[in-house]
Amino acid sequence: MSILANKDTRAVIIGGIAGVNAARRMAQFDFLINRPLTVQAFVYPPEEGQQKEIYRGGELNNVTVYSSLAKALEENPQINTALIYIGASRAYQSAKEALDAKGIKLVTMITEGVPEKDAKRLRKYAIECGKIFNGPSSIGIMSAGECRLGVIGGEFKNLKLCNLYRPGSFGVITKSGGLSNEAMWLCAQNGNGITSAVAIGGDSYPGTDFVTYLNMFENDPDTKAVVIIGEVGGTLEEEAAEWLGKEIRRIKVIASIGGTCQDVLPQGMKFGHAGAKEGKKGLGSARSKINALREAGAVVPETFGGLSKAIKQVYQELLKSGVIKPEAELEEALLPALPPSVQEVMKQGDVIVEPLIRTTISDDRGEEPRYVGYAASELCEKGYGIEDVIGLLWNKKLPSKEESEIIKRIIMISADHGPAVSGAFGSIIAACAGIDLPQAVSAGMTMIGPRFGGAVTNAGKYFKYGVKEYPNDIPGFLNWMKQNVGPVPGIGHRVKSVKNPDKRVKYLVEYVTKQTTLHTPCLDYALQVEKITTAKKDNLILNVDGTIGCILVDLDFPEYSLNGFFVLARTIGMIGHWIDQNNQNSRLIRLYDYLINYAVKEEREVPEKK
Amino acid sequence: MAKILEGPAMKLFNKWGIPVPNYVVIMDPDRLAQLGEANKWLRESKLVVKAHEAIGGRFKLGLVKLGLNLDEAYEAAKEMIGREIGTSVVRQVIVAEMLDHDEEYYLSIAGNRDGSELLLSNKGGVDIEENWDTVKRLFIPLDETPTLESITEAAHEAGFIGEIAERVAKIASRLILCFEDEDAQSIEINPLVIRKSDMRFAALDAVMNIDWDARFRHADWDFKPVSEIGRSYTEAEQQIMDIDARIKGSVKLVEVPGGDIALLTAGGGASVFYSDAVVARGGSIANYAEYTGDPPDWAVEALTETICRLPNIKHIIVGGAIANFTDVKATFSGIINGFRESKSKGYLENVQIWVRRGGPNENQGLAAMKKLQEEGFDIHVYDRSMPMTDIVDLALNS
Repeated sequence: MSILANKDTRAVIIGGIAGVNAARRMAQFDFLINRPLTVQAFVYPPEEGQQKEIYRGGELNNVTVYSSLAKALEENPQINTALIYIGASRAYQSAKEALDAKGIKLVTMITEGVPEKDAKRLRKYAIECGKIFNGPSSIGIMSAGECRLGVIGGEFKNLKLCNLYRPGSFGVITKSGGLSNEAMWLCAQNGNGITSAVAIGGDSYPGTDFVTYLNMFENDPDTKAVVIIGEVGGTLEEEAAEWLGKEIRRIKVIASIGGTCQDVLPQGMKFGHAGAKEGKKGLGSARSKINALREAGAVVPETFGGLSKAIKQVYQELLKSGVIKPEAELEEALLPALPPSVQEVMKQGDVIVEPLIRTTISDDRGEEPRYVGYAASELCEKGYGIEDVIGLLWNKKLPSKEESEIIKRIIMISADHGPAVSGAFGSIIAACAGIDLPQAVSAGMTMIGPRFGGAVTNAGKYFKYGVKEYPNDIPGFLNWMKQNVGPVPGIGHRVKSVKNPDKRVKYLVEYVTKQTTLHTPCLDYALQVEKITTAKKDNLILNVDGTIGCILVDLDFPEYSLNGFFVLARTIGMIGHWIDQNNQNSRLIRLYDYLINYAVKEEREVPEKK
Repeated sequence: MAKILEGPAMKLFNKWGIPVPNYVVIMDPDRLAQLGEANKWLRESKLVVKAHEAIGGRFKLGLVKLGLNLDEAYEAAKEMIGREIGTSVVRQVIVAEMLDHDEEYYLSIAGNRDGSELLLSNKGGVDIEENWDTVKRLFIPLDETPTLESITEAAHEAGFIGEIAERVAKIASRLILCFEDEDAQSIEINPLVIRKSDMRFAALDAVMNIDWDARFRHADWDFKPVSEIGRSYTEAEQQIMDIDARIKGSVKLVEVPGGDIALLTAGGGASVFYSDAVVARGGSIANYAEYTGDPPDWAVEALTETICRLPNIKHIIVGGAIANFTDVKATFSGIINGFRESKSKGYLENVQIWVRRGGPNENQGLAAMKKLQEEGFDIHVYDRSMPMTDIVDLALNS
């Protein structure tokens, strides 16, 4: 048996993330004692219609979030309890609605910082409705072996340590949430555990009081003794003493009252819970409460540390008099263990999980990203540049100074070629259409292909093939290309020719061959090829794609990575175009009719559909 | 409880039609001269100058000066502003009209569980203490407004007669309105004075406590509550409060000068029991502290460092109950970092540390704390099987 919460309790939680976390803790308890899920619904308008994943052991449940309590109750008429987790400014309205709901008998409020007047009104209203309003600032209610409302009881391991999987003989009523857990532990350690534990909250005007629950415990035959933990302020402890002294009670009362230190503190210095404030002329002082409880027959140790002994003593007496029958303890090994998460099991090394993806270049699990093992900040500190990061992430190698300089020049030279080319034009049109930066740039990006910018990879690839297969046989190579590929990628230009050379090519070739010590077999080979092709036709020169492709092959970048340099470089240009168009507030372009040849059928009638 | 200063209280009284004397709050004495040119009452009335700060026993400290003319008030203000009292500095003074009056009354209202109680007496001022038993009490049930007739009747029973009874009842009815609508917890007007020649009333002195939790529905509360600990906050306390305002969960600190047992305790309930245990065993606490609601580790670290800096401490009690959801490992890692940092700065010499805690990840948290022994800390670590406050006994017996 128990009070307030039992096996039939079905709850709705009103509130957001804190409520969902509580529901997860509550489901752990449901799993421990093998009862159905306690939380049946959430009410939280901002997340209406969502499903919250709640694990009861290994079983995944989806609990619906409703926009209103009325809707939640309409679909879940079995709900009889409401937990209020919503913020202080909405807590009053939510609790009042819950008290108004016909099926709800118990409303317990976890919310802290609720205005006193709101709490007073809710208390009054609950009494008028004949219902229980527990809280505000209550950690929750626990009935051992039956039901957990809120996060009371803490983590799963503690639920077992406190024997909460089966009822004992002690009731617990506290103001403090932390001490409710401590008291449950003390009852398990020094007695046989609890029937129910209730935290009424430490506010000035809690919705309930010690006497409310003392009466309930008195009427619960399984509860033989009750541990009360009170504190300075208010008169609830005095009322409990009065209740105890008024007539012969079946249950024993053990109490501890906090706040005796305030007698000796500098005048006016007060601390602790909102309600822990002494009134005029010592009214509600810890000392007066202790005296009143002792006079009424309660066992009140001098300090909290003395509670262990007091509980043990009462338990032994109850055992001796036969009020409590000794029960064999459950073998802890028989209790279920919470299914561990994959991460936890992996940490123990008890499971092998095949990875979904593999990476060999970077790792951000530490304090900062590492590129092939090197910390990003250390690279910066030691004077490395973006070219070195490219070398690391694309080729897993740190380039030499010379190599970095070449990479830098390749990117600088390729960054942009004006607005007329398809890539830049695509980005510009998108910018004019009001498309945001990433999408406009990717519009330009989609243009990169066989006819625009995509020749770097193939140029590198085939010249490399030539170096390998036709090292001293350019005609042989050209012949093979003609038969198997077609025009040589990287050779030929629309406007540039031998007489009108491409300055970028000239510069790059000269820089690499004359100002660096780089060994350039691929570039040399391509220049040999150019000599033969230009002899046939003036404009069959080594173009910029071919030049870059060969240099990158000579830099030992994998051939399939080569287009990346164009993509990377041109992204800089496309972003520039997008920013430029936005700066000018450009508007959408519509092609003039005279720029289109409408080579279409004449106007004609649509035939009837057959 | 949140006490507010006289200035804001007067403003709220004005709002609800409770008569107050003319007053100004100033930070610079020169402003008083300018205000004197604009306000006749400053030139023609007797004035009272009071330090507008949360300092107890102002009268004895010479921070209340009565019966002054404008020049004297200027001198008094000049003398008070900038004065240091303990850890506080006087920054503002309130200058009010000292109404010549014939009688002093007492009027107060305070909340209780079922509503509130109105207290009336025609023997106000310093006489109220000895006439406490003659005070007339009127219980006002929650959300009910007593009729003017019933208040007038109460006024009669308190010894007020004739028109004065009617006027006092009227003021009381406005006090009730102010109390209800401003989410007040208590308002005490002592004295409420009357000048019979023109039947002018004024609340000469008032103490008002408001419910700071209700501030979300009071857009015009442009003030902050003053210290709740009977003195103004120290710099360290203010720093912890600033952190507290920014985090999930909470950290709290009150310094108690002269003590040698520092508390670094968890939970609003348990922390008080630790203070009790120290006092019960004849020790003296150097502070009260509390961290609750799973605060971030850096906040606990800041609290730890502040506590380590407390002067002349011999023991630190790192106590707590078995937490429901505060992560012991995470909060302890904040405490451990705080201890290390403090030690490297030369604190914690000859300080013994006593730990008792339980809750989520307790094993890892306690093990990490225990490892501090290897770094030369004089630390004693106990788990849940040690009764909660018994580490205080161990500390004091060591």
